[in-house]
Amino acid sequence: MIDKRLLAMPGMRRYLGILGILVFIQAVSIIFQARSLSVAIVNLWNLEPLKTIFWPTVIFAAAFLSRHLLTVAENRVFFPFVEKTSGHLREQLMAKIFHLGPAEIEKQGTGNIVTMALEGIDKVQTYLMLVIIKILDMSITPWLILLYVLFLRWEQAIFLFIIFPVIILFMIILGLAAQSKADRQYEGYQRLSNHFVDTLRGLSTLKQLGLSKRYADNVFKVSESYRKETMSTLKIALTSTFALDFFTTLSIAVVAVFLGFDLLDGKVMLLPALTILVLAPEYFLPIRNFANDYHATLNGKNALSAVLEILGEPEMKQTKVLKDFTWQPDTTLELDKVSYTYPKAEKPALKDLSVTIKGMKKIGIIGASGSGKSTLINLIGGFLAPDEKNRIKINGNELPHLNQQAWQKNFLYIPQNPYLFHATLAENIAFYVDHATPEAINNAVKRAGLAAWVKTLPDGLDTMIGEGARTVSGGQAQRIALARAFLDPDRRVLLFDEPTAHLDIETEAALKQDILPVFDNHLVFFATHRLHWIGEMDYVLVIDHGRIVEQGTPAELTAKNGEYVKLRSEMGATE
Amino acid sequence: MKQLRETFAHDTWVMPYLRKYKGLLILVLFLGFMTFFSGGALMFNSGYLISEAARRPSSIIYIYVPVVLARAFGIARPVFRYIERLTSHNWVLRIVSDFRKKLYQTVERKATTIQRSHQTGDILSILADDIDHIENLYLRTVFPMVIGWLLYLFVVIGIGCLNWVVSLLLVLLLGIIVIIMPLASVATNGVREFRQHQIQHEFYTNLTDEVLGLGDWLISGRYHDFMKLQEKPIKAIAALRRKDHFYQWWRSFFVQVLVLLSVLVLLIWSGQSLTGSKAAADWIAAFALAIFPAVSPFLNMSQGMSEWPVYQRSIKRVNQLDQNQPREVPQEKLSGNFEALKIDHLTFKYPDGDRKVVNDISMTVRSGEKVALLGPSGTGKSTLLKLMVGDLTPTAGKVMINGMPVSALQKNRAELFGILDQQPYLFDTTVMNNVRLGNINASDDDVKKAIEAVGLKSLIESLPEQYETHVQEAGRRFSGGERQRLSLARILLQDAPIIILDEPTVSLDPITERRLLDQVFALLKDKTIIWVTHHLAGIKHVDQVRFLEAGRFDMQGTPETLYQTEARFRQLYDLDRGKSVSNN
Repeated sequence: MIDKRLLAMPGMRRYLGILGILVFIQAVSIIFQARSLSVAIVNLWNLEPLKTIFWPTVIFAAAFLSRHLLTVAENRVFFPFVEKTSGHLREQLMAKIFHLGPAEIEKQGTGNIVTMALEGIDKVQTYLMLVIIKILDMSITPWLILLYVLFLRWEQAIFLFIIFPVIILFMIILGLAAQSKADRQYEGYQRLSNHFVDTLRGLSTLKQLGLSKRYADNVFKVSESYRKETMSTLKIALTSTFALDFFTTLSIAVVAVFLGFDLLDGKVMLLPALTILVLAPEYFLPIRNFANDYHATLNGKNALSAVLEILGEPEMKQTKVLKDFTWQPDTTLELDKVSYTYPKAEKPALKDLSVTIKGMKKIGIIGASGSGKSTLINLIGGFLAPDEKNRIKINGNELPHLNQQAWQKNFLYIPQNPYLFHATLAENIAFYVDHATPEAINNAVKRAGLAAWVKTLPDGLDTMIGEGARTVSGGQAQRIALARAFLDPDRRVLLFDEPTAHLDIETEAALKQDILPVFDNHLVFFATHRLHWIGEMDYVLVIDHGRIVEQGTPAELTAKNGEYVKLRSEMGATE
Repeated sequence: MKQLRETFAHDTWVMPYLRKYKGLLILVLFLGFMTFFSGGALMFNSGYLISEAARRPSSIIYIYVPVVLARAFGIARPVFRYIERLTSHNWVLRIVSDFRKKLYQTVERKATTIQRSHQTGDILSILADDIDHIENLYLRTVFPMVIGWLLYLFVVIGIGCLNWVVSLLLVLLLGIIVIIMPLASVATNGVREFRQHQIQHEFYTNLTDEVLGLGDWLISGRYHDFMKLQEKPIKAIAALRRKDHFYQWWRSFFVQVLVLLSVLVLLIWSGQSLTGSKAAADWIAAFALAIFPAVSPFLNMSQGMSEWPVYQRSIKRVNQLDQNQPREVPQEKLSGNFEALKIDHLTFKYPDGDRKVVNDISMTVRSGEKVALLGPSGTGKSTLLKLMVGDLTPTAGKVMINGMPVSALQKNRAELFGILDQQPYLFDTTVMNNVRLGNINASDDDVKKAIEAVGLKSLIESLPEQYETHVQEAGRRFSGGERQRLSLARILLQDAPIIILDEPTVSLDPITERRLLDQVFALLKDKTIIWVTHHLAGIKHVDQVRFLEAGRFDMQGTPETLYQTEARFRQLYDLDRGKSVSNN
């Protein structure tokens, strides 16, 4: 019943002990409360004067207050632990995100990860807070009450004892029935509930096609059929709660009736009978509370599973194999039959890539879309680890993968849409450099061709950009990435992944003039399918279906009249 | 109270529906009331039953009625509760259907046909969430509150019939629980909720920022900075949450103290006034036992009420949608065939903008002409398109079709314009249904012909479910090029005379791009085409190229003349075709 993963949390057992004691005292308070209230009522029933109930009432009030104070105490005692545990979990998750890197996170979905770190952990917190105390309550309170009832009158105790598993049995049976029905409906169900968002998102398309007005009735009709489906599921889903409700309430009624008959026959006195009747609802209260929060706990449980699953994702180890170095004209990078297969994929995305690169070269990576260009860039960036170890060498050192801190200090990655942080322009440009001087930043801005634009900004370099702040066009975003490269001369390797494909031709032409100078004295990897860039390269890798089908200088490849020439003509090149 | 009135002052989302489904609403409230009534009555009856039985009356007849009643209430409570829950869900879902239609209609009136991204779609999902919130407002706040109040009235009036002093005391004690504390909770929680919303928003943006820029963080090696960035909002949220929890715990405790006081009042009262005779004393246990189940619905009222700020935000947001609805222009129908689209000294400025996005532009596109529009982002290309189709109203100047203003032709706009944009939307249904949207009267054969025309016949027929294949969410089942071609098939069915192409190839690779453009211009050779493009691939297909710069045309002519006369155009063209040119 109790989630084993919870018991494994550090410090949990100690808290279980402390909380167990508190819940125990609380259960004793409940018995005192019931007993003293019954005494007071019986005294009045015997037509005794009001002052005879003074002490029973005082005890009742004290027990009542103690019971509810203990609830507060349990929460207060447990909360710091829950807070610490969930805080720790959130920290672990963040660290994991950092270590897994962008390729892995993208696979999980950015939105998914953010929601998990934010709401997921909150749900785990609620789960921890609810489930532990409720389970303790359920495993201590009813049994202590039962023990006391047994001591008062064993027949009722037996009845209460037997009904308990019956309730649970019925809840399970009906719950399962509802579950299987819900499962069967789930797919269609999900589609219906997504239908609305789907319609809203496609609204402009509907409007283009002149259907948008008419679609309103469709929205209503689909929603109505969703309602009917939901209701038929609910009818069964709610029976489980109904069973709980029915048995607990009816049991109380049965206890009352039996006690009535026993009293009539003189088999029992009013005081014990009344005490049992007062205690009967208390006996069922913990299980009812537990069932009420069942959905919240289920959500929390799933959230915890999701978080633990991410935490369990394997991350690349051995990130410090490579010693610190700076890429020099005589440094070599060697790939020797490197392959990469995406998890769960049948065929490798990259197969037996072999290439040796020395010094400052400009290497073009070309191929049709889906050929594996981006996968190769991700491999070189160390975001993905090759299938086999030690197939990559830098200066002859065998490396398991390129997720090496020493390698990361040497390169910059410029994708199609460089990410701009919600920060000032200066902070964005100096993202890679500690303590960049304003002069250095200004210089980089000038060389990246941003100076004129910066002048038009209200706060110059201190203007906030990024999400929710000033929008930056695609061309300017590329220039900001370029400025990062100019600012940090120690990073001698540049990885470009389609930097200009989505830009309009005039912006592209202008940007190209500013990108070309940064190529000097750098090792450049440039994945592209824009023809004009290929002319700027020293060496070209032609990739097709995950293999390097041709490599060489553009002149060599043109002379060969093979894949390279074929690809170029398909792209519409005029020679 | 004031803010409550403000929220509902121009409300068209909550109150009208309360009125519309009045009957069911009353039923829900009645059933809810009966649930708790039966719960209280069961204990009341049981208390009386055993007290009476303990007097050991001579015959079972004396306790016969309470025995029957005990069973009746014991069964009635769960049954009422079950029906109540079903009815209330049914009621809420009914309202949701109305809501969805209403939300759709409201948004539809404002939607534009030229749209560059689906970001607006995200805003729409927020609105969809708002509807869920309003759903919860009923289930978690309105129903429990009203049922609680009904019960409160029942208890105090019931006791009032016996003794008005006691009743008055209970009015006070229970009144604090059911009226004062919920209000206090809203007040405290309103402020906290607002603060929490802010911090959460900050955390959310920070986190998204970090995750999206993860590559840069990783390469920069700034692990500690990365971790530190989240510390502040996490701490702030934790502190708020802690406060919130403590507040809730002590509030529940305080409610219990009030319950205790009410029990004591009842106990003392019954000790004084019901100990006159044995028959009267039998009722003491009844009252004392009934009070606990009777007050149980009161315990969560504060919590339900404190969720109000969240709901309030949602209600305000959906109500705001109704405002600023566009002005309706009397609609006419175009007589005869399309002849010319004339743009006459067109100027446009966004209401909150300071510069003219479109600045005194004139041009005429005759039937069958193909025009390409180029220019850097932000020069007004998409604004110009929006003006052409009538999504936007010009600040000055006119857009005319056959001499009629385009704003008067909005009702039958789909018969005039076919639009292929960057990310045409495929709905989560079958291929057949998606393509048929172009013309819902098209037969299956027409649809298949259109799909064949765009060259997807063999692909679609190779799929196991063929034309009945589901395209999945946002058309994920198909690649970018295939999605564009499916939309093209849709446009073929639509058969409108003017086709707007809004950068349809921006996310495609050059090979796919070439094939798509060849196909588009071949299939639509009889149509008038206005094509916004970002580079010069396929430019040979058009009669006229126009470059937009800062809201004006600065280069125009046929591609051939431009290539011969304009050095800049020649340079760009050669760049696009991969001829190495050097400017330095």
